[in-house]
Amino acid sequence: MRYAEPQTVEEGLSLLATTAGARCLAGGASLVSKMNAGQVAPGMLVSLHRIPELATTTETAEGLWLGAMSTHRTVAAEARLCGAMSVVRHAAGQLAHPAIRNMATLGGSVCLADPQTELPVALVAASARVEVAGASGRRTVPVESLLVGAFQTSLAPGELVTRVLIPRGVDGAVGHHLRYSRVVADYPTVSVSLVLAMDRDTCRYARVVLGSCGPVPLHVDAADARLVGTRLEPGAVAAAGRLLADSSAPLDDVRGSAEYRRMLIPRLLGRALSQARERAHV
Amino acid sequence: MSDKVSVSLNVNGKTHALSVAPERTLLDVLREELRATGTRRGCDAGDCGACTVLVEGLPVLSCLSLPARLSGRAITTVEGLETGGELHPVQRALVQHGAVQCGFCMSGIVLAAKALLDHNPAPTVEEVRHALGSNVCRCSGYARVVEAIASVGGRP
Repeated sequence: MRYAEPQTVEEGLSLLATTAGARCLAGGASLVSKMNAGQVAPGMLVSLHRIPELATTTETAEGLWLGAMSTHRTVAAEARLCGAMSVVRHAAGQLAHPAIRNMATLGGSVCLADPQTELPVALVAASARVEVAGASGRRTVPVESLLVGAFQTSLAPGELVTRVLIPRGVDGAVGHHLRYSRVVADYPTVSVSLVLAMDRDTCRYARVVLGSCGPVPLHVDAADARLVGTRLEPGAVAAAGRLLADSSAPLDDVRGSAEYRRMLIPRLLGRALSQARERAHV
Repeated sequence: MSDKVSVSLNVNGKTHALSVAPERTLLDVLREELRATGTRRGCDAGDCGACTVLVEGLPVLSCLSLPARLSGRAITTVEGLETGGELHPVQRALVQHGAVQCGFCMSGIVLAAKALLDHNPAPTVEEVRHALGSNVCRCSGYARVVEAIASVGGRP
C-alpha cells in the first residue's frame, strides 16, 4: 500500500487519476474499519487532511459552504447553521457517538452513501448541493443526484467531493432531526429529517426525508404537499405518513423488521413535527 | 509491500520517530512499537471505545486512526494520566466507587471522562452518560462508572 498527502485538490485529482486502486482517506472512520477487517486493501491511500480548501467554511448570500473535511463535531458546533439550515447541525450532533463525531467527516459520509447513516438524510432535507471536482473541472449537483443506491454514488472514478452548500432555505423555517434507535450510539431503526415553516397554525412549507427506509434517503413530494396548508392535525400527519410508508423499502435486520419500520414512520413523523414546532415556538 | 511512512508521534509529551506502514493503526503502533499496552484492542471497528485515546484533547478511536496523519499532534494515552505516582482524579474516583470491575474498558472510559471534565468541570449525570456514548462495558456495570465520574465534579 502506498500513501500520499496532496496539498491541493488538483494534486489529489492527479494522484487519483494516475494510481490504480487509489482511495481517498477522509476521517477514516469507515475506510480504516474496512481495512482492519480485510474487506478492502487500496493500492494507495490519498489522505485529504492537508488540503486547506477542504476544511474551510464559507458564508455566501446563498448559504453556508461546508468543506468536505469538516468533522461532524465541527458541523454540530457551527452556529451559522440556523433556521432551515439547522437540520444539518442537529443531525450532525446526534449521529453515532462522540469519538466517531470527532473523526468522521461530511464528505466521507456523503461518499459512503450508507443508507443507515443520517447526515445524507439531513442534507436532502436541507436541499443541499455538493461540489464535485474532477479532471474536467468542477460541477455542483443536488445531493439526491449523488446518492444513487446503498453505498453507491454517481461520482465518476477519479472525482472527489470538495464542499457542500447548505442553502439558507425558506424564511422563518426551522430544521429538526429525530432518530429512533434501540441503543443511543447505534444506527437508527428509522430517522426523520425535516424543514418546517408555519404561518401561525398553518403549515406553509414542509420537506420531510427519512433514513433507514430504503437504499437512499426517502423523500416523497406528495407527502410534503399533504402537510402544506394543513394545521398538521393528526389526519394530515397520518396521511403524509402513509404516503411515505407506501414509498418506503426498509430492510429486515437486527434493528427492526421492515413491517415495524413502516409502522414507525407515521408515529415518528408526528413526533418530529411536534418537536420541530416546539423548537420554533409555533 | 507497503511504503513506509516516517512519522514523529508525540505520545504523552514524548516524541517518537517511527517508520510505519500506512495501513497500521495508531492502536497497533502504541501496543506493538511503543509497548504502551494500556490502550486496549476491543473490536478494531470503532464500535467499542476500548482503544480510545485523546488527540489534542479530544477522544478518538485509535483503531481507526492512522499514525501517518498524526505527526506532531499531541496524543494522550492512559499511561500519561498519572502525575508523580498519583492517579488522575477520575481514576481515583472509579476505584473508590468500585466501578473498575474487569478493567478492560477502563482506559477508554478514563480518557473519555478526562476529556469531558477538561471541557466541563462539573458535568451532570446526563452529560456524563452522553460523553461515554462511545464506550461499551461488557460487564455492563455502567451505574457506578457514571456516579464516579459525576462525583469528580462535585455532583452526587
